[in-house]
Amino acid sequence: MMEEKMYAYKCTACGELHHPKHYVCKKCGNREFNEVPLGGEVTLVTYTKVYNLPEGYMKPYMGFGIVKFTNGLVVTGQLEVENPEIGMKLISTVGIVKEGIGKDHFGFIFKTI
Amino acid sequence: MREVGIVGVGHSKFGKMSGGTFSDLLSMAAVQALDDAGVKTGMGHGIDQVFVATMGAGILNKQSGIASALVDYLNLRPAMAETIENGPASGASAIKLGYMAIASGMCDCVLVVGGEMMRVVSGWEGTDFVATMLHPEAEYNYGLTLPAFAGLFTKLCMEKYGITEKDLSIVAVKNHENAVHNPVAHIHVVPNLYCITEDEDAHIMNPYVAEPLRMYHCCPVSDGSAAVLLCAMDKADRFKKKPIKIAGVGSATDTHAVAEREVPTDLLAVRLAAQMAYKMAGLTAQDIDVAELHDAFQILEIVESEEVGFFKRGEGHIAARNGETKIGGIMPINTSGGLKAKGHPLGATGVSQVVEIVKQLRGEATGRQVEGAKAGLCVNFGGFGNNVVATILTKEEA
Repeated sequence: MMEEKMYAYKCTACGELHHPKHYVCKKCGNREFNEVPLGGEVTLVTYTKVYNLPEGYMKPYMGFGIVKFTNGLVVTGQLEVENPEIGMKLISTVGIVKEGIGKDHFGFIFKTI
Repeated sequence: MREVGIVGVGHSKFGKMSGGTFSDLLSMAAVQALDDAGVKTGMGHGIDQVFVATMGAGILNKQSGIASALVDYLNLRPAMAETIENGPASGASAIKLGYMAIASGMCDCVLVVGGEMMRVVSGWEGTDFVATMLHPEAEYNYGLTLPAFAGLFTKLCMEKYGITEKDLSIVAVKNHENAVHNPVAHIHVVPNLYCITEDEDAHIMNPYVAEPLRMYHCCPVSDGSAAVLLCAMDKADRFKKKPIKIAGVGSATDTHAVAEREVPTDLLAVRLAAQMAYKMAGLTAQDIDVAELHDAFQILEIVESEEVGFFKRGEGHIAARNGETKIGGIMPINTSGGLKAKGHPLGATGVSQVVEIVKQLRGEATGRQVEGAKAGLCVNFGGFGNNVVATILTKEEA
């Protein structure tokens, strides 16, 4: 069973954090990383509400946001916030972002604190 | 390196293709380019290499290895043939490879054909197909799409530079006005700016696709093809028309996951690709008379116009408001109608942009001609800016 956690990938040589995963460190070129849990408070960088969804999403619309974690990492995820505003503080949670055949995909879902 | 020119161009009508196969669609543009150059089909055509640019032939049309099929369909055998896939930048990438093949001395004459037949699938399937170029784990699996990223990007640009929904509509209307004069454009109807922005029913006529982007701020889904015949400049005498020189080519990449970019409102790969092309051509932004910029979403035309150096950062929308990007303005952009109104058949788009600039430099852009144009720039944008190709064409003096 998939663990409902999201991770940052910390370079074992220079400590640079990455998300998503890279094969080679963007800062020093090292190839080894440690997984570090990624969650908690985030700041909303930008957001949108999309009405034309791709195949597989039986909803009229979905919210998406790009957020910045307190450790500086910036990621994209689903946004479940009523009246979003750039700069607002949110909480990063982990949930099913796409239902798959035999395997659901977990990812970031940003919510009001 | 040998100099390379364009001696023939071809272009199908963009829109919804009714009847015919994908090979037929590609052949329409290819044969037009050969006719334009005065090359006879059949024996003695002299084409060394064919590049076919397409993103979805294998997925949407269930036809992979399309370049091999096309050379046979056109009876260009035994010319070398490869299919090029670089997302929506496939067309310009194929031209770049054609340029490299001739500049290196390996070939004298290369046919580049770009095409896409996208309207064979539903809108849902099409949106999903295009989204496959996003990062598989960090983006695609969330239900993110290209319009979603354009919405995220637009929102941030509005916050940072004061761009409004009306500014996006001004760019859209300008491109629709240009497309009226382009017989191969997908859409020949010009929306009324008031009706899509300020009218009490504007939200119905121009609904949100990905807030704050509305329908008229996004390109349509199109079928279509375009072709160019490239030739070594020192071998161009045998062709009917004077070659238009490929003076500069540049391309650059950026992070796959958009959120990883240092400045989320920058299109770094556009800037780097344009700088590379300018350097190779020995030109600057001030030398460009006409440009085709990849406006799959109207915000992209505005920001690209800044990244390539036409306007200062944060001032592209002001230039559009002031009419500076119209035909007759100081920097005409998307005289063809752009992706917004001419249409955006992915693999064809980069080739189509080059076809428009060739027509402008030849003085053949009837009804939309930029008088005296001598240098033109194309920007073909892949992913959400993770792979960009810039091409500069010049008209050589007699």
